[in-house]
Amino acid sequence: MSHVTTRRAPVAPEKVDLSVRIGSLVLRNPILTASGTFGYGDEYAHVVDLSTIGGVVTKTVTVKPRAGNAPQRVAETVGGMLNSIGLENVGLERFRDEKLPRLRALAATVIASIGGETPEELETLLRALGREAGVGAFEVNFSCPNVAAGGARYWADPERLERTLAQLKPLTDKPLIAKLSPDVTDIRDTARACERGGADALTAVNTFVAMAIDLDGMRSRLGKATGGLSGPAIKPLALARCWEAAGVVRIPVLGSGGISSGRDALEFIAAGAAAVQVGTATFVEPEASTRVLAEMRTWLAANGIARVGDLVGAFRAEPAQGERATAPARNGERA
Amino acid sequence: MITRERAAASRGRTRPRRARTSTTGATPDGVSPGVLRRTWRQSRARVVQQREYGAGFRWLELELPAGFVAPIAGQFVQLLLEFPSPVLLPRPMSVASMRRVRGKLRVGFLYAAVGAGTRALAGLPPGAGVSVTGPLGRGYPLHETGTPVLIAGGRGVAPLLMAAESLARSRRRCEFVFGARTAGLLVGLAEARAQLARARGRLHLATDDGSRGFHGDVVALLTKLAPKLEPPLVIHACGPHRMLAAVARWAIANGARAHLAMESVMACGTGVCRGCPLPRSSEARARVLAEGGHPTESGPAAALKGNPEWAMCCTDGPVFEARDLDWERVE
Repeated sequence: MSHVTTRRAPVAPEKVDLSVRIGSLVLRNPILTASGTFGYGDEYAHVVDLSTIGGVVTKTVTVKPRAGNAPQRVAETVGGMLNSIGLENVGLERFRDEKLPRLRALAATVIASIGGETPEELETLLRALGREAGVGAFEVNFSCPNVAAGGARYWADPERLERTLAQLKPLTDKPLIAKLSPDVTDIRDTARACERGGADALTAVNTFVAMAIDLDGMRSRLGKATGGLSGPAIKPLALARCWEAAGVVRIPVLGSGGISSGRDALEFIAAGAAAVQVGTATFVEPEASTRVLAEMRTWLAANGIARVGDLVGAFRAEPAQGERATAPARNGERA
Repeated sequence: MITRERAAASRGRTRPRRARTSTTGATPDGVSPGVLRRTWRQSRARVVQQREYGAGFRWLELELPAGFVAPIAGQFVQLLLEFPSPVLLPRPMSVASMRRVRGKLRVGFLYAAVGAGTRALAGLPPGAGVSVTGPLGRGYPLHETGTPVLIAGGRGVAPLLMAAESLARSRRRCEFVFGARTAGLLVGLAEARAQLARARGRLHLATDDGSRGFHGDVVALLTKLAPKLEPPLVIHACGPHRMLAAVARWAIANGARAHLAMESVMACGTGVCRGCPLPRSSEARARVLAEGGHPTESGPAAALKGNPEWAMCCTDGPVFEARDLDWERVE
């Protein structure tokens, strides 16, 4: 990667072009907050200037309100946290009537996360929300590990993903972003399927299915046996999944998984992500997203990279043995 | 781990900006309605005191920068260790004391060094930095009319001593019931006695084994005391969930109001992650549904936001009225 870090004179930080295009949506910079870690934006609006970050991805909304799972819902593990929230949310009606007006009042680019147990539920959500003002794009949560029906396992089928996205596409003019699970045999299969189905972008990745056992009580440290793992512990895993996905699609990829510094974000971008999402880091530090942005800008400026887009996919693997080690081209340049 | 170091450095840089923008919504030091407002922020605090408090507990006092809103009794903060920290997430800590020294806010915490995070916390010398996000949650509604009865179990004594002082500032004296399994677990009894003398509170002790004070639990002692007190009683309690459940049942059966400070594992502490559910009572559930689950910004209905099944310990609580939780399902 030294080819991008050593040959250029520094540029002024404010001169760095951080803008990113996701389908028809232009983000002012590549830093978004991950779904489920930033509420509906207004919870953090008094400490984070939402007009400075690239966008806010809201808590996944489902057709009907969901009460969520029984406790325990969170447990810390080394370098990460397990969660089993179970998609607690206010449901479509209240999201549209109460949350959307508040979201419109925020100076933020809003990406609404939607989730469904069936393709039909996702259609219902997009029919209701697809033309609403104040939403810049939709992220379709195909990857929740904590629901009995319609979670990551159900949506791991490439044909189902492709068919569903094709059904959803006509229901909105706004970009559709497919959020993928890392818990598949080969994420390149689900990534390609989403692109074929008409997704405008991908998010790679959601949490990893994981567990922790309380030996004294011989029971799970969560209310359910398994949950989803997030935080710094998953960053190297998520980076690899992001790199694999970005290598096989033309559409932009949003990297996600354990990002808590500007350098973390830039690793995902070098691996092929056009933008990134900051999630669990916000629980540690509510202003994590703006700090990650500032650190990213500083690094790009110091290394003379005037456009963040120039770094997308800059990492190229050495030619190696083995099928999976093939180097992906820069994201957006080839199929 | 470099990340954490950077986070700390960045927080240091942005502190002055926060201080300038944080002048709104200061909570009065005295009795306050316990209403949730989004006045919390993350600040860098400094350890000013650490000491043994007896019964395996420690006392920590932190000095907070200007602009940090003064917490009320029953509220908590998210305490985060700086680099190098053995843990990732901040830990919720109930505020046990609050005072101003030379214009700076000092808050105290009672804790036990039982896990990796709290053991590291115990090793911090005076002058060391920690990150504090707060004040968070809804505190005790000490403004409620009635005879204040404060009930503490073990280390639950801390926020209630702060409550007793708040009540004293508004010229109200309290009955203070302090119980534990055995005399040795009446945490910081000497300090409690001294503080209550200043606050003109009456101290009543109970131990399960009879080694000190009344022989029996706090509810048995409460039953004995109640006829001598002027009704209505307003109970404010903190302690193990099993004790709080017993106090709640007593309050419901005897027509008293009771406000109980609950604990939960938490991640964000700000209502966003939905990670700290407590089961609502059927009564609270019906009220949430009757109100269409619509959010209310203040007043007693604030605990009835949204989800009819589960209340969030961090933002709906941590202080709950007895009738709002299903004590059969509280773990």
